[in-house]
Amino acid sequence: MGGDKIKKDKRQKREDYRAAMRSQEGISELPRKKFYRQRAHANPFSDHQLIYPPHPDQMDWSSLYPDYVVDDEPQDQHTPAPETPSDQQDLAPLRPKRISKDVEVADIGCGFGGLLIALGPTMPETLILGLEIRVSVTQFVEDRIKALRAQDQDTKLYRNVGVLRANTMKFLPNFFRKGQLAKVFICFPDPHFKTRKHKQRIVSTTLNAEYAYVLRPGGVVYTITDVPDLHEWMVQHLDAHPSFERVSEAEQEADPCVAIMRTETEEGKKVERHKGQKYVALFKRLEDPAW
Amino acid sequence: MALPYHLLKVCGSTVFAAQGSDIHSFSSALEYISTWKYPVHIADEANVPSTEAQDSPAPEGPPAKRRKMDGGKESASNGQPKSKKAAQYIVPANERPFVQGLYATTDGCHLVAITGSDKTIWVFEHDGRGNLKLLSQRAMPKRPCSLTLTPDNHTILSADKFGDVYALPLLQSTTTTTPPTSDPIVVAPLPKSRSATPSTPAAPSTPTPLLLKPQGNELTVHTKRNLKALENQKISMDRNSKAQQDQLNGAAHDVVVFEHTLLLGHVSMLTAICIGTTSGSREYIITADRDEHIRVSRGMPQAHVIEGFCLGHEDFVSRLCVAPGGKARILISGGGDDDLFVWDWARGQLLGKAGVLEHVRRAVVAVEGEASTTKVAVSRVFGCRWEGATGVFVVVERVPALFRYELLEDNTLCHRETIPLPGNVLDVEMIEASGVAPPRLLVAVDPGASAEGLSSSSSLILLDKEEAGWRQSNVENLPAGADVNISTKELQKILYSTETLRKSSDFD
Repeated sequence: MGGDKIKKDKRQKREDYRAAMRSQEGISELPRKKFYRQRAHANPFSDHQLIYPPHPDQMDWSSLYPDYVVDDEPQDQHTPAPETPSDQQDLAPLRPKRISKDVEVADIGCGFGGLLIALGPTMPETLILGLEIRVSVTQFVEDRIKALRAQDQDTKLYRNVGVLRANTMKFLPNFFRKGQLAKVFICFPDPHFKTRKHKQRIVSTTLNAEYAYVLRPGGVVYTITDVPDLHEWMVQHLDAHPSFERVSEAEQEADPCVAIMRTETEEGKKVERHKGQKYVALFKRLEDPAW
Repeated sequence: MALPYHLLKVCGSTVFAAQGSDIHSFSSALEYISTWKYPVHIADEANVPSTEAQDSPAPEGPPAKRRKMDGGKESASNGQPKSKKAAQYIVPANERPFVQGLYATTDGCHLVAITGSDKTIWVFEHDGRGNLKLLSQRAMPKRPCSLTLTPDNHTILSADKFGDVYALPLLQSTTTTTPPTSDPIVVAPLPKSRSATPSTPAAPSTPTPLLLKPQGNELTVHTKRNLKALENQKISMDRNSKAQQDQLNGAAHDVVVFEHTLLLGHVSMLTAICIGTTSGSREYIITADRDEHIRVSRGMPQAHVIEGFCLGHEDFVSRLCVAPGGKARILISGGGDDDLFVWDWARGQLLGKAGVLEHVRRAVVAVEGEASTTKVAVSRVFGCRWEGATGVFVVVERVPALFRYELLEDNTLCHRETIPLPGNVLDVEMIEASGVAPPRLLVAVDPGASAEGLSSSSSLILLDKEEAGWRQSNVENLPAGADVNISTKELQKILYSTETLRKSSDFD
């Protein structure tokens, strides 16, 4: 009753706030997190109302990275091979606007986008994509990127970061082609403490095959967590996969991304406040064995 | 109520047909030979399948059967299966272990069957004359949806509802009691991350003490709820360790002890699996899932390497078919989309599509006078040599017709004809005739679902191509099937399960 009313008001407020954030173009005020909170867990097995391309070639990146859109007439370049039958069939439907680069860095479960925002300026020539399954959190990152881009009109920063709502456990290959990525970040994933929820963990022997698929040989999977057992779990499972090899401690600490991952992620900061530990492990994608 | 025949498999000169939980065999002239009955019926006709099956005699090997039950833990620890009554409550009536898949080795010496709710893979020896001898029954950790046999006929690849593919030797070695841990093809030496219950280690390994480790500590747990979960976990860990202690003391414990190796997995229900072979005689495992993916992985022992995907479906994929007759690079897939897709699977390239919905609509108009169909669920894609070309026969769920396509030389898939039938088609097979006679088609139909025909038409229909068209003849003298106590609704649910793969949720 009373509580219900308050709840409704709160929801209304959130909606109003978010609608206002979206309606104004060129707004440079950063969004406030409290209007975008969402339960920390999502079931990766359920059929969410997700939007994803049936094939990576049909992915429209132009709205995420508008500064990289190329104006050309690529319609004929990519038409399927000539042996393809009758032209009445629309095998390659509308081809989206092309962008000049491919996304090469993915932050799986980017949360509120701390890592994205920190990585963006350090690798300005690389397109970085955050993937997040929770709707409101994704919206927050969208609004955050929009605001940052508006603030940095002169420096042109943050033009290379984008965010998408996606369930990567199911649909990673719908977004990325084989070997497209150079780096994959898995930062403070849901630990799924209960044994029967382990199947929902983002790292598993079978799922690692998909990370290996989207990563090019030499590419790196970055993992960090504050849960020692999850750390062990991720190390065990990635170690067990023949396509990955753990990066040495020395090489790991020399990687500038590791420092950013430790300090700039939202969870990283939270763990800092709680004086918790952080466990880092990096894995290099090996060449596929001869076949 | 009499059940229709719902699955067909031609194996040399023998035709196997599944009816409910039983498998009948016929000669190629459709003369009845024998029946293998699901063991529980022998024990007790009226009883729904239960842990009873555990005691049913298997000619060879120890009973490796295990059913997932809520009371599983207790019954395991005190070595006593739950009472019949309890089992009856746990197994819902519509969850009868119908035969859900029939597969034969290329040499025709073995038949492999999947039964549904008990998640069991059955391997039979076939004497070549229609008689089956049960060699093994293996209950998988999750329900197998589809399986295939490697070309050397040594290994079964089972794709399950949970998205995982396991490799099992067709024939179990005599030392089945010891789980082989030093198998060279083991890609997953860990208890798999997605093994749901502690008592079913997914990789061939014994239950590990790894499960007893605490999963978090007070430092890592932020919320009240998490703290509570941690507390509960500790309690259950205590209980588990006690149970495990009991197990060590007590002798027999029915975990999955047979050799089965996790090869690969999707985070989605698998619907079909097949093996593709390239000209270099390399084998690839092709798997399809409910989330529109077709994945091409290397064959064993490199199944962890994904070679590519065939992406383009916009609804579930339910059937895969590698084209026969020298067109092994071509894959035809069907599912919830309006079209069949033709792929060069090795390159992950879509070559073409062939409409299904349009032909279904035409067939429905012919029967009902109006086309109300707006979506289709392809439930069979069967390829074979047909009249000197590559024929592809397609069954669509709840449609009383069979659709014949032809894969042309340029790999275009072309609809050739629609063959109307007196009931919804459930399965189709081709019977090679001896000598110069043309091959015949055997079709399993659901007579109960036809418009007019009561039980006038048989559930098995032979189709002979003649100059004037198709001659349909009912297969007579079918063995009297067991009268099974199942409602029409339940039966429909089991026979027409493809459409249920379609996503209907509309939440975030």
